[in-house]
Amino acid sequence: MTSIKTKSLNIIGYPIHSLENNLMGMFKHIGQVLIIYYYTLKFIFQGKIDYKETFKQSYMIGVKSFFVVSITALFTGFAMSLQISRELVLFGADTAIGGVVSLALIREIGPITAGVMVAGRVGSSIAAELTTMMITEQIDALKVMKINPIEYLVVPRYMAGILMMPILSIYAMAVGLIAGIIVAQVAANVQPATFLDSVQQTILDRDFEVHFLKSFINATIIIIFSCNIGLHTRGGAEDVGIATTRAVVWSMTGIFIANYIVTALTFIPR
Amino acid sequence: MNEVNKNNLMLEVKNLKKSFGNREILKGISFSIKAGETVGIIGPSGCGKSTILKLLCNLIEPDGGEIIKYSNDISLVFQGSALLNSLTVKENLSLALRNKHLSKREEAEIIAEKLKLVGLSNFANSYPAQLSGGQQKRTSFARAIVIDPKIIFYDEPTTGLDPILSTIIEDYIITLSDQLRAAAIVVTHQLSTWTRTTDRLILLHAGEIKWQGKPQEALETADPYMRQFALSSRDGPILVG
Ligand SMILES: Nc1ncnc2c1ncn2[C@@H]1O[C@H](COP(=O)(O)OP(=O)(O)O)[C@@H](O)[C@H]1O
Ligand SMILES: [Mg+2]
Repeated sequence: MTSIKTKSLNIIGYPIHSLENNLMGMFKHIGQVLIIYYYTLKFIFQGKIDYKETFKQSYMIGVKSFFVVSITALFTGFAMSLQISRELVLFGADTAIGGVVSLALIREIGPITAGVMVAGRVGSSIAAELTTMMITEQIDALKVMKINPIEYLVVPRYMAGILMMPILSIYAMAVGLIAGIIVAQVAANVQPATFLDSVQQTILDRDFEVHFLKSFINATIIIIFSCNIGLHTRGGAEDVGIATTRAVVWSMTGIFIANYIVTALTFIPR
Repeated sequence: MNEVNKNNLMLEVKNLKKSFGNREILKGISFSIKAGETVGIIGPSGCGKSTILKLLCNLIEPDGGEIIKYSNDISLVFQGSALLNSLTVKENLSLALRNKHLSKREEAEIIAEKLKLVGLSNFANSYPAQLSGGQQKRTSFARAIVIDPKIIFYDEPTTGLDPILSTIIEDYIITLSDQLRAAAIVVTHQLSTWTRTTDRLILLHAGEIKWQGKPQEALETADPYMRQFALSSRDGPILVG
């Protein structure tokens, strides 16, 4: 059906047509996300939280992400510290290395590294799981049993997400910091004590607030976007793969945009 | 039982309409079911039988018409088993009882009883993936009846089962309607299933009810639609393909 429509459109018309479709799709998606988020918060405030399921999901989301987060945070920390150390040494600002590295880690790298890894690991698996449940009518079965799928499926995942994400982010920051201390000593001959001294002088409580705000937002974006895609996909087995990809793309795009907005709004000159 | 009206009706469907895109699947279907009565719906594949059940369970919205249910205790046995894969057999049944807020002991007793009824007592802690197709279907069956529904819908409950298992499932359907006085709809392609379990039969084709009557009459009627179906004949007004 659509192929006939597309063929009749001219070269200029086609991209406009598809842009229109994409925009419509985007607004629809955002509308659905807001509705799901509203009900998720409503159930949470009503205390309708399945703690057993939340615990299970926390394990899936948090504990199982530690390894990948460790690796990525370690190497991001290495690369960033190497770059910063070498630049600052040229300016004779060796003693500022710790401050700059830790600032970048706590405000940007920690939350984004953990966010990207969780989006890849957890966002995809949530979308795949819920889409499969849609296709095999498990979600319909819940509805017939008068169990709200948002309460039963989204709430525990969201609770687990907002509990585990800050832990993963702060952990990513700590791993990055260790990488920074190592690189600063090896590449710029800065002693760990000097490095940590600089960290202490630079980092404010505000930076931790930004860190936790970002991890909260990242968890919200990943879990709600992925659940939304899962709960709105119909069709067959091939749609599971499509939903998975969509969940990762949407989550990551969302995280990067939100990250910038928070950074811009919370910038403080030192 | 105070919710049941004078005529003992449990379910009324009036002029039900449903289209998917520009394809009109149901063109105004009306029927009603009394407590204790089992109605069979038959018709060619894709004629909208599952769609009717989904409409009756509020899983999809009708385009027109009215559905009146005289009880909220409703169950559906899905065409696929639709068991929750992440839960064991026992947990699947327990989920169906979630809104009843029973004590742990009461719940365990009811679940044990229903699992015994469908012969799956030894599989209480198995996951659906560890069961055979027939066992999954029986679990799905147990999950549907665990709440003692007043209205129950079966979507092809015996399709794909061996003849012995089919008979066992048919027996459950009969027992249930006798014991619980539930109103039931059985969607099926299997002659033995509708002759054994139903009190009344509806033949659906091209979005309309083409014939209805007692199952015995269905086998003898001169109606061309019903005759073609009962005789499994390729000659008749129903064109396939
Ligand atoms: N969600 C849907 N979207 C579009 N078409 C559908 C949908 N559900 C069912 N259909 C179509 O409606 C028709 C009736 O389907 P169904 O009720 O499942 O048939 P059956 O009588 O075999 O159970 C079929 O042609 C099917 O393709
Ligand atoms: Mg069907």
